Amino acid sequence: MVHEAAIDVDPESSPRSGAGVEGAGRYSFYVEPYDERNRVRRFLSVMAAVVRHSAYGYWLDLYSRVTTKCSRCADVCPVYDTSGDPRDIPCYRTELILRIYRRYFTVSGMLRARLGTAWELTDSYLDEMAESVYRCTACRRCTMECPLGIDHGLMTHLMRHILSEIGLAPKALVVAVREQLEGRTHNTSAIPVAAMADTCEFLEEELEEQLGFDQVRFPIDVGEAEYLFVPAVSDFLLEADTLMGNAAVFYATGCSWTIGSGDFDGINYGLFINDRYLRRIIRQLTAEVRRLRCSKIMVGECGHASRSAKDYVPVFGGADPPEVVSCVEWTHRMLEEGRLTLNPDIVTDVVTYHDPCNVARKGWIIDQPREILRSFCANYVEMDPCGSDNYCCGGGGGTVSIDEIRSFRTGVGGKRKADQIRASGARYVVAPCANCKKQLRELVEDHELGEVEVVGLHDLILKAIEIPGARPAAERRVEDPTAI
Amino acid sequence: MDEWLAFARGPFFRFTFAVMVLGLARSVIVTLWSVARARRLTEHKDVSWGRVAAQTVDWIVPLRHLRQHRLFSGLSVLFHIGVILTPILLWAHIQLIDANLGLSWWALPGGVADVLTLVTVGAALALLLSRLAGRASRVISRAQDWTLPALLTVPFLSGFLAAHPGVNPFPYDPTMLVHVLSGGVCFLVIPFTKLAHMALLPLTRLPSELAWRFPDSYPEAVARQVGKEGQPI
Repeated sequence: MVHEAAIDVDPESSPRSGAGVEGAGRYSFYVEPYDERNRVRRFLSVMAAVVRHSAYGYWLDLYSRVTTKCSRCADVCPVYDTSGDPRDIPCYRTELILRIYRRYFTVSGMLRARLGTAWELTDSYLDEMAESVYRCTACRRCTMECPLGIDHGLMTHLMRHILSEIGLAPKALVVAVREQLEGRTHNTSAIPVAAMADTCEFLEEELEEQLGFDQVRFPIDVGEAEYLFVPAVSDFLLEADTLMGNAAVFYATGCSWTIGSGDFDGINYGLFINDRYLRRIIRQLTAEVRRLRCSKIMVGECGHASRSAKDYVPVFGGADPPEVVSCVEWTHRMLEEGRLTLNPDIVTDVVTYHDPCNVARKGWIIDQPREILRSFCANYVEMDPCGSDNYCCGGGGGTVSIDEIRSFRTGVGGKRKADQIRASGARYVVAPCANCKKQLRELVEDHELGEVEVVGLHDLILKAIEIPGARPAAERRVEDPTAI
Repeated sequence: MDEWLAFARGPFFRFTFAVMVLGLARSVIVTLWSVARARRLTEHKDVSWGRVAAQTVDWIVPLRHLRQHRLFSGLSVLFHIGVILTPILLWAHIQLIDANLGLSWWALPGGVADVLTLVTVGAALALLLSRLAGRASRVISRAQDWTLPALLTVPFLSGFLAAHPGVNPFPYDPTMLVHVLSGGVCFLVIPFTKLAHMALLPLTRLPSELAWRFPDSYPEAVARQVGKEGQPI
């Protein structure tokens, strides 16, 4: 989530009008001014360095050889489905980088150039690439559908990285990363530690009021706790119920956990723009784990934060990297072991579940939240499709944080999702992901989905949890139907 | 004509077949080596071999995926069954292999082979039309996506005609020449075009498992090489 003060542009202007920010007018998102000289040469230099120092070149080579242009990827892409724009065909986008690879990094490409018949990379091609890669929500439905296993998500990821290394990335995402890595607060929402601690205190008081006892705490900087808990930092600002639900579950199940004042932000926008930032953010996280001598990381309700930690702590986390667990996994395990009691008479409205792409696409978190919800929601319904086939909310890949593209995000990228929600007839849409929540709420507004409420998984759990010694869930039920 | 046929069936066939086999072998070896190297470079080496194997089989026998893009999927399956089985299980081809290498195996009954051949040709042409009709496929198709299906029908059609002189409007020898030459041209292009997926398809699930696991040193190494190391964000 982006700190409000960092965006100081006139809300009436759009980037395309050219007002305010240099580099505007070419993309639908704002870009900070950067040195635009020799972009083509610099792009190729970075790409050469990437091919040299990583395995990307092998995949570029393989994909160049086997791509059959069958267009199955286009059939499953929610963005292309609504826009019909060729730029949104995953294989079209992948071809943007494969073309460059073939021309400049293969013998046949270089030979053809000598014969004078080759295509050349241009500045306007790079602009087209930048626009195309940030229309993509990185949901990877296309990857799952490609018969040749071409990872279009990876290709988009690579293009974004190279563009970022020459200075071209959405301002909204860059600003967030800058604050997280180089700002005083070390988190994407620029929340000072004192404010976070105050928030925790406030949440403890809220819980005391709801539960009727004061045992549920938000421990900060407890050394040698088993789990370092990292939610999306925006939860401290926007998702009180999710955090309270987390804390209540941890207390009820005897979890040994702590928040770390050195790093309390699981968000990792490096995953969306740049591998160097991805790595540095992971190192910041593992440094905090080691500082507090925790043994594991528990990620809060955030899809990309969960995936970045799960996939990249083993890769970038140094020697003996800590294990990464999602809070959804924890809650599910506790329910299975009988250490968590949820009252099945509290949530009676129709509930459905949205699968955040980053945790569901490859099959990590699919059944767990459903089993939890089915255990206490009398009226649980599935969206269609669901599970690893589910549609992206439309705000993935960091696009949710780029406010200036909201109408594209909700009108085009998220239209399929809006239709799914409407068709499910649900009152509550559960989405254990901070970014999905923001996007889904914007969908509810922009598509006029009426009384639909987007909530976190632990929000509902907070309503139904039974803790020995605390006020029973039935007595805690709030009369006002619009309040959670 | 006799000399042409002798050339086509002899040196030309051997050369083009060798190019195909060696070219595909190279691609397979390079891919396997790449995967091994990628695994060596990353810190995170655990691979779920079971999942990779399951996904590989899933896409070789793509029953789960026929639901999507139904027409194209159905035609593609028919085409592939024909294009793979017919040349390998054709009695006439097995006779040739037996005469030259002493190997032989079960052959398709003549009528079945005929049907498969015509199905292959029909499916290839239908796939071409389907590619033209689909908005997305039309936009992203390159030259080889149009020419290769057409090229592949030539050995099948000419082979069918050569085997059925009764329906063949042309004399046998030129028909057979076209058959062997076009077959050889197909062999030649296979390693250099998307047809390489013949050998590479079973290997394409492995990269995805490892491709996201970057070497720990790579991001900073790139920054250092382009002079961005230590610069503020």
